[in-house]
Amino acid sequence: MRNIFFTILCVLLFVTPVQADAAGEVRALLKDKIDAVVVLLQDKGLDKARRNEQITDIIAPIFDYKTMAKLSLGKKHWSTLSPEQQAEFSDLFIKRLQNSYLDKLDLFSDEKILYGEPSAKGKKVHMSTTLASKDSRIEMLYKFYRSQKGWKIYDVEVGGVSVIQTYRSQFNGVLIEGTVDDLLEKLKTDGVFVIPAPDNQLGTD
Amino acid sequence: MLVFKSRCSFHLVAQDVQGNNFLRQKWGYSLKHTTHAASAKLLFLLTLLAVLLGGCATHSVTIHKSADAKAQQDSVVTQADEDGFELEDEFEVTDTEPPIDPLSGYNRLMTQINDKFYFWLLKPVSQGYRFVVPAGGRLAVGRFFNNLLMPGRFVNNLLQLKVKRAGTELARFGINTTVGVLGFGDPAANRFGLQAYPEDFGQTLGHYGVGGGFHIVLPLLGPSNLRDTLGLIPDYYLDPVSYIDDSNAELGVRAYRQVNRTSLHIGEYESLKKDAIDLYTFLRDGYEQRRIKQIEE
Repeated sequence: MRNIFFTILCVLLFVTPVQADAAGEVRALLKDKIDAVVVLLQDKGLDKARRNEQITDIIAPIFDYKTMAKLSLGKKHWSTLSPEQQAEFSDLFIKRLQNSYLDKLDLFSDEKILYGEPSAKGKKVHMSTTLASKDSRIEMLYKFYRSQKGWKIYDVEVGGVSVIQTYRSQFNGVLIEGTVDDLLEKLKTDGVFVIPAPDNQLGTD
Repeated sequence: MLVFKSRCSFHLVAQDVQGNNFLRQKWGYSLKHTTHAASAKLLFLLTLLAVLLGGCATHSVTIHKSADAKAQQDSVVTQADEDGFELEDEFEVTDTEPPIDPLSGYNRLMTQINDKFYFWLLKPVSQGYRFVVPAGGRLAVGRFFNNLLMPGRFVNNLLQLKVKRAGTELARFGINTTVGVLGFGDPAANRFGLQAYPEDFGQTLGHYGVGGGFHIVLPLLGPSNLRDTLGLIPDYYLDPVSYIDDSNAELGVRAYRQVNRTSLHIGEYESLKKDAIDLYTFLRDGYEQRRIKQIEE
């Protein structure tokens, strides 16, 4: 009888920590990737285009770009797109997201990256990091979920602002007033934003 | 051994009149087992088991839960791989109704004016200033102004009953004004690990459940909402710069403070702007999200 108990106990005691360590796993995964990126950033001798290529390769495995594209549009709008439009949208969105990330890296200088404690929320693990420069601290929250291919990022919050949420609001705004083609067109104009004339805007709102 | 136990128990009874229960328990236990060695061994094992089982109960629950969660996860993952929208619940619902934004026409215009103001005036001036004054100096000036803004942070922390944070603000002010030479240094953070806790009156109102109201883009100051715009009034009176007698001097100090601040963050607005599909919606949404987060903290 006692032997059975002990056997069960031993099994339980040894299995549990492995289960509970998902958060730690995510923390290590993210730190690993960020460390690799920082090494490349600090190497000033690297050609920028080449460096950006390497960085994109490093972070690609932990980003679920396709899901991010879908989430940024929202189920309602996504379902109104034809499969071709969905594919085109995803492509444009992913490129944009990657470029935006690479742009941000150019602002990186003397910041220190502080790692917080990961928090598990059901199927998600949120990993908080802080970008501390000499005069400001910005919280970067990486939101992971467990996919079949391991832990993947589906959203990033910068100082409390969700990247996906911000895209959702903008895409929603564009789609309320225009068509899918308008949206695709806007996405193609790579990062260039021309503020429409005020008359025009006052008229349409 | 048993005798010893008995004597011990009687001794206890003699000492403790209300020890009847104890005695019964003690006897009940002792009588079941014939030798102390055996009972001690069993007691040890029982205790061990109880401890382990206690832990085990918790563990098994955890496992049960995590097994459940995993099953849930797996099903979610399968679905997510199919359409990817299982993660959607944490985001705002997108629908065909535009968000309530009665001032959007004015707001868009003001966003554009502020944008021009930044690119045509604030940025060139700040860049010139940056060229002349080394980073160390600009950082020190920024810390000086930041130190002067302590009253606003202190009062708003206190109003939200964040007493410890308010205390930290006072301590920071004391340390930085003296050891930090009028606030140009920040030994409070560097040596004592005391970080500032920025709070403003808009956050105080938000803390007590006041909603943001509609979005307003303020001239020069940028994105805001009804609540936060009202919050600027008390904050104005908590800003020492507001008490400079000469209004031209006051304006000058404000302008300088802004130029110094901008000089430390050149490129950030540009980078944000580049990300935007629609600058106004982008800034509006970002602002409201950030405020919600700040109020939560």
